[in-house]
Amino acid sequence: MSASPFGAILSALTRQRGVRASLVVDENDGIVIESNLQIGQDGDRVAALAASLYRKARLSARAARLGTATFMQLEAERGRICAAGHNDLVLVVVADPAANIGMIRVEMIKAAGALP
Amino acid sequence: MADDVRRWSDELARDPASLVFLPLGETLRRQGQLDLALKIAMRGLERHSHNTDAHDLLARIAVDRGELQRAFDEWDMVLRLTPGHLGALKGMAFVRFQQGNTAEAQRYLEQAKEHGGEAEVAAALANLRAAGARGAGRGQGDAGRGTREDGNDNHARPTPHSPRPAHNDARALFADILGEHEQTALLLDDQGLVLAGIYVGDDGRDVAAEVGAELSGVTDAARRATKHLDIGEWRAIVLETEVAVVTMAPSAGDGLLVVAASRATPLGLVRRVLDRCLARARQWLEGSQ
Repeated sequence: MSASPFGAILSALTRQRGVRASLVVDENDGIVIESNLQIGQDGDRVAALAASLYRKARLSARAARLGTATFMQLEAERGRICAAGHNDLVLVVVADPAANIGMIRVEMIKAAGALP
Repeated sequence: MADDVRRWSDELARDPASLVFLPLGETLRRQGQLDLALKIAMRGLERHSHNTDAHDLLARIAVDRGELQRAFDEWDMVLRLTPGHLGALKGMAFVRFQQGNTAEAQRYLEQAKEHGGEAEVAAALANLRAAGARGAGRGQGDAGRGTREDGNDNHARPTPHSPRPAHNDARALFADILGEHEQTALLLDDQGLVLAGIYVGDDGRDVAAEVGAELSGVTDAARRATKHLDIGEWRAIVLETEVAVVTMAPSAGDGLLVVAASRATPLGLVRRVLDRCLARARQWLEGSQ
């Protein structure tokens, strides 16, 4: 268990079935603040790419007058990227295609609300 | 919602003359329980035969059941009880459009405009005129964004009578797929330019081009992320905002399909609509080649 303020959040997310990585990332520079990764996951790369994607989606939604983004999910052939933001922080999860995305979404939205 | 249905049902059982049949019938209609909704509405009308809202409810249930003429007759009754009723005028315009009578649809919309449905009805009128004889009726974007002044949506579920849009009627390409929930769809090319669909903003303008241009930029970031994370080609993006659920998926020719729905729309339903719109877009693109 990490002593950081995000350790409990990330541990809870990583316990969800199919979750390969969970991270708290600075949205502006894509730098990892805290992570909980399975072996083989490159945290820096995940953080940078997911933060960039979330930032782009958030800004696009705002420009399209769709309001503030609360949750984003990208589905790909062999995995999913989920992101939920709060202030300048983004909670990121990388999961298997078969993961229970409904549960992960609920946990992420709840956890994002608890981010400082 | 289930609690509300139970509470209203209990109240109606205790007091068959209660007006809770109105929200109960409407909720059941939205849930797709049309036979039950019809039964509730009919029983309510037996006791409240001059209640405008009851006739309006019955009309909307009838539209959802594909009974267009019955819906028209009920809205006609609403107009007799409450002259100038905005919802009835828009509903009658919708029915007439679905029946292929665009001239009469336009007449009802013009009356609706006079009775306060300005931005929304103006957009529908513009769509009707722009699309000519096979136009968008209430307009796909209008159907996607419009909300009646009395707070109830007036969106018709696609019916067997719904005309399929012609290939040159691109703005109405997804109109019959987009159901009673507030939702709209756009097909964009690889440059983010609108190929089909319509998106009407709150001010009644078609803002499809702006929305398309902004959202299409997300796909570059998606491609980059999936490539570098080695998780294969991206299939869909779901973006939830304060007011909307937006789903995007790649379409043929490096294009992008965007379906946006109100926040109240269940995510799973939005995904199903996205899949259906993707199939429609594929057929349409193949047919136009």
